[in-house]
Amino acid sequence: MRIFVIGAGQVGFEIVEALHTDHDVTVIDTESARLAAMAERYDVVTFEGDGTSRRDLASAGVQRADLVIACTSRDEVNLVAGMFARREAKSATTVIRTSNLEYVDLWRAGQLDVDFVVCSELETAHAISRIIGVPAARQTDVFADGQVQIVEFDVEESSSPDVVGVPVREAKFPRDSKVAAIIRGDEMLLPGGEDVIRAGDRVVVIGSPDAAQAWSQLLAPEGTTVRDVVIYGAGRVGSAIARVLIDQGIGVRLVEASSERARSVAEALPQARVYNATGIDPDFLERERIGHASAAIFAMRDDAKNLYAASLVEVHGVRFTIGIAHDPVSIAAFEHGGIDVAVNPRTVTAEEIIRFAHDPRTQQIALLEGNRYEVIDVTMRDTSEYIGKAFKEMPIRGALIGAIVRDGIAVFPHSDDVLEAGDRVIVFTKAADAPRVVAAL
Amino acid sequence: MIQAVTQRKRPRRRLAVDVTAAVNLIGMLGKYLGLAALFPVPFALGYGEPVWPFLATGAIVSGLGFALERMTAGAAQRVGVREGFLVVSATWLLAAAFAALPYLFIGGDQLDHPLDAYFEGMSGVTTTGASVVTDLDGINRSLGIWRQFTQWMGGMGIIVLAIAVLPRLRVGGRQLLESEMPGPEIAQLSERIRQTARNLWFLYIGLTVLQTLLLSAMGWLGIDEEMTPYEALAHAFSTMPTGGFSTRPRSAEEFAAASQWILAAFMLIAGANFALMYVGFLRRKPRVLLRDEELRLYLAIAAIATAVVTAMIWGYGIAEGEEAVRTGFFQAVSIITTTGMASTDFALWPAVLLLSLFALMFVGGSAGSTGGSIKVVRHLLLGKVLRRELDQTVSPEVVMPIRLNGSPVDERTLRAIAAFILLYVGFWAVGAGTIAIDSAITGAGLGTLDSLAVSATTLGNVGPAFGIAGPMGSFAALGDVSKITLIGLMWAGRLEIVPVVVLLTRHYWRL
Repeated sequence: MRIFVIGAGQVGFEIVEALHTDHDVTVIDTESARLAAMAERYDVVTFEGDGTSRRDLASAGVQRADLVIACTSRDEVNLVAGMFARREAKSATTVIRTSNLEYVDLWRAGQLDVDFVVCSELETAHAISRIIGVPAARQTDVFADGQVQIVEFDVEESSSPDVVGVPVREAKFPRDSKVAAIIRGDEMLLPGGEDVIRAGDRVVVIGSPDAAQAWSQLLAPEGTTVRDVVIYGAGRVGSAIARVLIDQGIGVRLVEASSERARSVAEALPQARVYNATGIDPDFLERERIGHASAAIFAMRDDAKNLYAASLVEVHGVRFTIGIAHDPVSIAAFEHGGIDVAVNPRTVTAEEIIRFAHDPRTQQIALLEGNRYEVIDVTMRDTSEYIGKAFKEMPIRGALIGAIVRDGIAVFPHSDDVLEAGDRVIVFTKAADAPRVVAAL
Repeated sequence: MIQAVTQRKRPRRRLAVDVTAAVNLIGMLGKYLGLAALFPVPFALGYGEPVWPFLATGAIVSGLGFALERMTAGAAQRVGVREGFLVVSATWLLAAAFAALPYLFIGGDQLDHPLDAYFEGMSGVTTTGASVVTDLDGINRSLGIWRQFTQWMGGMGIIVLAIAVLPRLRVGGRQLLESEMPGPEIAQLSERIRQTARNLWFLYIGLTVLQTLLLSAMGWLGIDEEMTPYEALAHAFSTMPTGGFSTRPRSAEEFAAASQWILAAFMLIAGANFALMYVGFLRRKPRVLLRDEELRLYLAIAAIATAVVTAMIWGYGIAEGEEAVRTGFFQAVSIITTTGMASTDFALWPAVLLLSLFALMFVGGSAGSTGGSIKVVRHLLLGKVLRRELDQTVSPEVVMPIRLNGSPVDERTLRAIAAFILLYVGFWAVGAGTIAIDSAITGAGLGTLDSLAVSATTLGNVGPAFGIAGPMGSFAALGDVSKITLIGLMWAGRLEIVPVVVLLTRHYWRL
């Protein structure tokens, strides 16, 4: 597929990283330094030019593209570039990134002349709402219209002995679920019957939503459902998160240091309680009982502030913290510093955009552990060698099928089940192996 | 060619206000306003009463206006925000004088004193309804309809009318309209001011016609012998602007029950927001009405007040059954909306009831209604501000925008409301004190409660108070100082104090 990426920022890099091996990628940006960095790392064509100039787009060859992705950090540039690209390349799919929810609404109403709109803030908010929906989860993704959940859990000392410390063969896993992978340090293990889940591991579970809840109970028995959250930072990300959580009936309190932004978010979200405070004043934390919140989300612009505030809030008693890491480097620091889940909005956005680059057989894809692993929802080829084979006969070859979607209904396979032509499978694999796995299916 | 030597003008004190432009606009308003004096002429002709007082009044006012306009013509004609306050304040002082002229001419003994005539004029145009007339039968029919008509003119606003009908009013935007329109400036009117003014007057006239017809029907159907078309019109002129003057010495007491219900219902309508009613009824968006917080609170207050007053009337055995409900509803609504018409002499009621009515004087109609006093929306917003203060005492960092109908209200508006209420209470207290002292000196016979009530009733443009100034009484016995004070209170109350007080600040006049 010929892919045309406008914007070589963080999102651009993530997209190129995920796509450059299998596709012809052209990247256009106004800054030559970024393009040079891009060209150094990946085998892609770079073109210095302005995404809002139709002439520049044409000379970069946008008319031959199958997929055009406008992912600069500026909405207006993306909109204009997306519209020009549509004129130049009639058959291409155009995807634009935006930070403005109004554009998402306009696109839904068919008022924007692009094929897809991906909103970083909204995707981030949805990612967080999924995480909050499954307590103790580090990351969750939903597949097959919510019938299948992919959840990554931390295994702790307090986790149930039904699953920890016993061989997988003997462990009592919740129904309709499968351990797709055990991640131990930097190693990933596709579990066979003899493998043992230990405290300190992370496990990737594929299963029904009920099973995901059951796993959550097993692994973090004290984790209760989240009823109220405190969000630090009422910028675009923070207020998008607030909006999504309020819609789910979760009580939201927002802490914002800028009085102007505090007021405007208080005006926009009557259901939220908004504080104009830095939120790191012990008196404030005590008076407002911030420690009693069931979860805290840190969505300030400065990663360092997020980390510090999260530590402080944990000291005051909040059990579950989620941090927005704007810089990918911060993710490790966050996790080291005790933040339970780190979310990078650009990764989430890239993940959403990358979906459009997969071949038509691929329905959806989720990236885990900083893009090292993928979960792919792919339709089987009629000629696949695996059709007609029972699961127990299949070799373990760096991939694991967690669920089958047959006629739109999710099935969680047992060892005697057989794959049929037309099935969609939800498969877990290393990102590097993903193209090979998809080709084989 | 001879060049004229440029005359060096003496350096003038620089005023921040363009008085010439303001006077020019006042003159122009006066010129057209004089035409209103023609209204009673057909009545005078029909009843065979003298026509000249009205013709003379019109000639004097129009002539004076014309002269003022001519004298100030040619100056840079820019009526901006500052001039607006002067224009509005002065126009209303002059409008009261205009209303008073026919009283001077044919008012007889009871109105021939200029102060009394001016009091009656001011009471009319500010839709107060407080009267110095002691014998209403001594006033002929054409003067009677003039007295009612002055209320109707003042009700929706003289300047609003001018904006609606005059070809071009050289005004700098909404300032004039807003200083005359009752209530805080919250809703940004989406239409041009001229269209807004026209819509308001259209609805106002429509409702007046409807009420006149309904009341007349009571007479035609024989339900109410007393309700002639003349009385119907006269009382519609008193109800719609929430005025309160009656052509009858016993106010609305002699009318049949059905007529009283109609009067009370229209008082209730007149106390609602006209702009809102325009959208709700004429644009067919009834939801707007149902969702409006102010309207809901206004109706709730009216319902509760009716229930309380009715219960007490019944309890004290003053009336019972339908009569008790009707009397309670009539008096409660009449005071809340600041109309001040009465279906019974409530000044004779026990003190507890009087205190209830007294408290209702501070409610007022809705913003954008013809009612006076503090207005429901201000109470509503002040209540919200107070609740926020309490919340912020517990959590100082919490940010809570005050909302009205879901949309946030500007903090400046909220401050203005607090300032208004403080000024209002201040004016009321100073007014009451002045009247109490004057009454003690002149022996006018006003008690403490009466003095407080008289001050509140005039500042709120309600009309009647208690004691000798009750609904069937008269303000005639008051001393001159009291009358002047009350005229000032009516004037300030109608313009919602601020445009008047602004004129007293140094900053207003000087750069």
